[in-house]
Amino acid sequence: MNVKKFVVGNFYEETVLFPAVTKVRRAGYKIHDVYTPFPIHGLDKVMGLKDTDLHIAGFIYGITGTSTAIGFITFMLAFDWKINFGGKPFFSLPAWIPIMFELTVLFAAVGMVLTFCWLCQLAPFVKKDHFNLRSTDDTFTMAIECTDKTNEAEAIAFLESVGAQGVEIQHREADWWIGRYDRETVRFGKKVPQV
Amino acid sequence: MSLIRYESQARAPLVEGNKTYHDVTEDICRPVEAKPSKLWWVGFIISLGLLGFGVVSIYMDIVYGTGQWNLNKTIGWGWDITNFVWWVGIGHAGTLISAILLLFRQGWRTGVNRAAEAMTIFAVMCAGQFPIWHMGRVWNGFFVMPYPNTRGPLWVNFNSPLLWDVFAISTYFTVSLLFWYSGLLPDLATLRDRAKLKWSKFFYGLAAFGWTGSTKHWQRHEALSLVLAGLSTPLVLSVHTIVSFDFATSVIPGWHTTIFPPYFVAGAVFSGFAMVQTLLLITRKVLALEQYITMEHIDVMNKVIVLTGSIVGIAYLTELFMSWYSASPYEWFAFKENRLNVNSPYGWSYWLMMGCNVLSPQIFWFRKMRRNILVTFFMSILVNIGMWFERFVIIVTSLYRDYLPSSWSTYYTPTIWEIGFYMGTFGLFFTCYFLFSKFFPVIAIAEIKHILKKNGDSYKAAYAKEEMESYDEFEHNQSHHH
Amino acid sequence: MSKHYQFESFLSMTGANADERFNHRSSETGAVVAALAAAVGVSVAAPAISNAKVKAGIDKVAKDLLANKGQGLVICGSNDVNIQLLVNAINNAIGAYGTTIDWSAPLNYRQAIDKDFSDLLTEIENGTVGTLMIYGANPVYTWPEQDRVKKALSKVKLKISFAEKLDEISELSDYLVPTHHFLESWGDGEATTGSIGFLQPTIAPLFKTRQWQETLMVWAGKTEPYADFFKNFWVSRLGGETAFLKVLQDGVSLTRGEAAISGGSYSAAGIEGAVAAVNAIPKSSKKEVVLYQSNALGSGTHPANPWLQELPDPITKITWDNYAMISVSTADELKIDYKSNDYEYYPQKPIIAVKVKGKELKLPIIVVPGMDNNTIAVALGYGRTPSLGTTYVDEHREDKKVGVDVYPLSSFNGTSVNLYTIDAELTNTGENYKLAQTQIHNSYEGRVEVVKETTLATFLKDKEHYADDAKHLYETYTKKKGATRADYIKSGTLYAEHEPQGLKWGMSIDMNACFGCGACVIACHAENNVPVVGKSEVLRYHDMHWLRIDRYYVSDENDPNDLKGVIFQPMMCQHCDNAPCENVCPVAATNHSDEGLNQMAYNRCIGTRYCANNCPYKVRRFNWLDYTGADSFPNNQDQTVVGKLDPAVFHMNDDLTRMVLNPDVTVRSRGVMEKCSMCVQRLQHAKLDAKKEGVPLKDKHIRLACSSACAADAIVFGNINDPESAITKEREDNPLRTFYVLEQLHVLPNVNYLAKIRNTDEIIGGDDHHGAAEGHGAEAGHEAKPAAEGAHH
Repeated sequence: MNVKKFVVGNFYEETVLFPAVTKVRRAGYKIHDVYTPFPIHGLDKVMGLKDTDLHIAGFIYGITGTSTAIGFITFMLAFDWKINFGGKPFFSLPAWIPIMFELTVLFAAVGMVLTFCWLCQLAPFVKKDHFNLRSTDDTFTMAIECTDKTNEAEAIAFLESVGAQGVEIQHREADWWIGRYDRETVRFGKKVPQV
Repeated sequence: MSLIRYESQARAPLVEGNKTYHDVTEDICRPVEAKPSKLWWVGFIISLGLLGFGVVSIYMDIVYGTGQWNLNKTIGWGWDITNFVWWVGIGHAGTLISAILLLFRQGWRTGVNRAAEAMTIFAVMCAGQFPIWHMGRVWNGFFVMPYPNTRGPLWVNFNSPLLWDVFAISTYFTVSLLFWYSGLLPDLATLRDRAKLKWSKFFYGLAAFGWTGSTKHWQRHEALSLVLAGLSTPLVLSVHTIVSFDFATSVIPGWHTTIFPPYFVAGAVFSGFAMVQTLLLITRKVLALEQYITMEHIDVMNKVIVLTGSIVGIAYLTELFMSWYSASPYEWFAFKENRLNVNSPYGWSYWLMMGCNVLSPQIFWFRKMRRNILVTFFMSILVNIGMWFERFVIIVTSLYRDYLPSSWSTYYTPTIWEIGFYMGTFGLFFTCYFLFSKFFPVIAIAEIKHILKKNGDSYKAAYAKEEMESYDEFEHNQSHHH
Repeated sequence: MSKHYQFESFLSMTGANADERFNHRSSETGAVVAALAAAVGVSVAAPAISNAKVKAGIDKVAKDLLANKGQGLVICGSNDVNIQLLVNAINNAIGAYGTTIDWSAPLNYRQAIDKDFSDLLTEIENGTVGTLMIYGANPVYTWPEQDRVKKALSKVKLKISFAEKLDEISELSDYLVPTHHFLESWGDGEATTGSIGFLQPTIAPLFKTRQWQETLMVWAGKTEPYADFFKNFWVSRLGGETAFLKVLQDGVSLTRGEAAISGGSYSAAGIEGAVAAVNAIPKSSKKEVVLYQSNALGSGTHPANPWLQELPDPITKITWDNYAMISVSTADELKIDYKSNDYEYYPQKPIIAVKVKGKELKLPIIVVPGMDNNTIAVALGYGRTPSLGTTYVDEHREDKKVGVDVYPLSSFNGTSVNLYTIDAELTNTGENYKLAQTQIHNSYEGRVEVVKETTLATFLKDKEHYADDAKHLYETYTKKKGATRADYIKSGTLYAEHEPQGLKWGMSIDMNACFGCGACVIACHAENNVPVVGKSEVLRYHDMHWLRIDRYYVSDENDPNDLKGVIFQPMMCQHCDNAPCENVCPVAATNHSDEGLNQMAYNRCIGTRYCANNCPYKVRRFNWLDYTGADSFPNNQDQTVVGKLDPAVFHMNDDLTRMVLNPDVTVRSRGVMEKCSMCVQRLQHAKLDAKKEGVPLKDKHIRLACSSACAADAIVFGNINDPESAITKEREDNPLRTFYVLEQLHVLPNVNYLAKIRNTDEIIGGDDHHGAAEGHGAEAGHEAKPAAEGAHH
């Protein structure tokens, strides 16, 4: 339960959005997030987001895959039960390269995707609040979090001055919960208005 | 600072019709949100029928044995493994389009990659049927898994190319599925947010995993796509290489050749692109998506077809030359007598393969032909027939007459159950594709939007003036732009 | 080296193993024998032989026989007593009496007199026979005048048959009193004079049968069981119970001992009459039909079992049927294109109609080289009544019989039965019939890595030829001068060798000794529970023979009918040390034992069939359907659309027939690969025997099914690490003929072959070191350049 107050503004042009983000940040507002229907290059930099380390995780998973493959196969064929297959030596590394490669890729891919989902909090039946349903269509939606220090009227005015449209205050759940999108969310016995 | 992303007018637009972002959403989601048309139902029912035929064929195979097929003591693999390699090959085009073209920054992939990736997954599903059901004792198929057991524990033979296949195909399927699905998440969210019906909201809500479009998530998504693409590229190459090892590592003349890995991979891309053409020519017409899957896309894919077809042709000629140059009489016999000789029992299949794969795609050197829908469609079928025969020629013409003349085999033709199994996989493939095209967006919505302002026709036209400016003028204008 | 000349009208198994063959019409047999008799000095007038080749052959043979007096033998293949008398005269003239023929120990079988039965028929027709008891005879099937026999039998008031099965004559009998199977019986026999053999029951009677001797005793009012009668008789003959029990235990008593060979005494009395009769044998300018006993079924008078029906004929490799063997020129006359893909690659073969004396028979054909141009040959023993059992039932034919009964083409000439007929007319009916062959290609295509065969003259010119071939291979691979096979084994490969162990099994097959009979094949089937698949499945190339005998014709490429020789090459799992099959099995179902055997774990096999594809020798066999009923799927032998199983398969799976299964060997289920295991169950048994005796394992402990069954001792098996073993000696004693099939693949087979040398003086040129010539005819072999002069022995 983490319902917060947000000042939400919508943009429709990248050329307007980018300077707006810079200005909002310089003005000291805390951008909760900018929701876009497609990835916009450079937006994360402008927002000051750290680079993701997902590829490092992928690399580690990959190495784990390689070592798992070579380790297990060596144990099985060169130590545990040595079988003479066509006169090949018990430790026949060249023959194991394909599987080592495949497991590298498999571990890396599965690991990365699962890590991705975990980091982004994505899974079946995960439900999150939206600020604007059109943010998956053609709208870039910026949500500024209202702290105790925020003057809402000022924030609204400021956002409109940098080019946002349809600016309004919204109370939204910041975290995720288990739910279905065809049903309305009921919290503490009260229906929460959907977007 | 300028945010201009701009491409020369010399390159044709990849999105036609002056689309805005919303137009893109509407155009691609409309067919998903509409009720299924009569045409869809007809196609779907036919596919289900074929699938049913396949199920009956598999039943006969499991209950009565692989003796329901006409394989014999000399020809141990026939239609079963031909079809396996054929379907796997087709699947590789999807991964190539998604992964390799992403690494090469080719924007045109965005019109076709979603459908192609779906095609990959369905093709690999179909491919996987063959190694499973061709087993004599499929209920013991789990023996290929290296898991601790009470039989020793008895492990598996990691030296065997078939075991490499197990790992390769399952990895390929998993990674393709993950790549496809992670790319789908944002588009499913789009559908979820537009959904009006209760079941749509539930289904797309469930499928979209709660995607919101957060910038941080997009950042991770981009990183994920890039690494998956980087992984999938060698994966494609390795998977079909491993499939080619089923033959290359054996001792049989006609199989035992080191050219197979690149030959197979080129052939896979070749047949895969042909299948993509077949599917997309129909899809774009029926779902009215000609402005997204433009003539430019068709043209460029045909260029890939003639390129890979020519590589395949060179591979055939190299293989033929080496069989003679090797001075191995058995190898030369396999080519001269089992294949080149039109009067031999299977000579016809070799020449059919040559005609379809080497000669016919040369038509795509001509621009007019590349941009002709009917020719493209007909060629795409012809290429796939030729590629089917390539695998048939490799498998059957090498096996039926090998080292000991006493084991040379009687003529092999498929039984009704072998044909039914193959037809069943068509049924499976098209059933899945029909379901996919009905319930999922066949074009990657987010990716189209991503390139819209660079490759969309109205946006390209908007820069016509700038394109004519000199460098100094351009620089002057841009620095004053905002 | 011994030399075998054969004069015959068709390609028989014996003829196929001859060094030199001469073809003549079947009606000319007598003339040929008479000409040969004259040529070796018997005082008869030599008839004219029109065929130049045959005439030259007779002269050559006569010269050879006379030059080797006392070391030659002529064997008569005819039923005609006059021809037999002439052959007797020849043997006397060439000094065979007392050297190669021992008159003191004649063979005592085949003593039946054809005329006696003809006389019996006359007696029956005269109404003087009231009761007929039949044992071990089936004249309704085997006598030429079948209709006459049937009519005669209807005149006999009481007909009692003791036959074990419902054969043709039993079907017409009034009473069936089936006798025991011979394995359930007491009995005695004297195969050659001076050696007595006893028969004793090995199993209690399975059915309600009674030994026919006992039946007769019961009817004669004797109360003594036959067993007692038998025992009492022999106790008194042998002089005591101890002696009797000894013979019973040994099974045979060789009372003859080391008696001297008897030269007998020759009488020329009947020769003049014989020659006259022979000259009076009717000739023909039309086609002739020879009736021969098939290798598997013999004359057909004993019940055949499915193993025998499924045993491929040594020459044609056809199972479950008889057919007309026709010559190449007859095929051309009948407009049969035997060189076409349709003929070779499909089981359908044209049907011809054979019309003789108003009788017409339809027979499928097979084209065979080395036949007399005007003779066709058909096997006896087929077309039996389906009442005999499912082995005789072919559901696909209208009359439901397996094969065609050709006894009606034989005739009685007043003294003996002629197993040939003249004045036949052949027409191509335009229909065809499927013949189930296990091998369809007949030439080894000059592939000297597969088959090494040559003539004695060629071999003597360059004895080291095969050894040099091997040396060349070793030196090329190892890049070392003077490399040996041991060097090749070690360094022809990327990998190090596995450590050698104490026992290493090896086998040697002598292609000169093997004559293609297939006894080894049957022995293997019996020992290893190999399933019978029936004709329908053999047609689909699904036969299950672990051990097969590959047969290749060696013909002149320009004249395919000029058959130089026939190669028989028994082929089974070569137990390769670098087995291509072991490497590719995903589930480790096949691997290599410490003793050098390729092992097959049936219960692990999941049936991907890669191992069979990768085997260059194609020795692996797959259980395509539920042939044995051993899988866990109930009711899955009733398929109809594809792969319908023949009744013979079900016959092999009923509770009674299953008693034949060897309990030491697993019965494989559907979907499992199988192949020769070198009778590993017997090898284990041998090791246990040696352990019990406390001695190292020696040859005497080992008896493989195939090597035990081989009458020619062509198969030698043993431990190659034992310097005393037969296999070691065989390889050491034959270094110039020893070769390994496909040695260049470096799969390191543990089975070696000894090259076949035909004793002719022909020099073969152009023997290609480097492998296969481009042959692709059905009958063609490698080119053979005949010797410059005529036979210069």
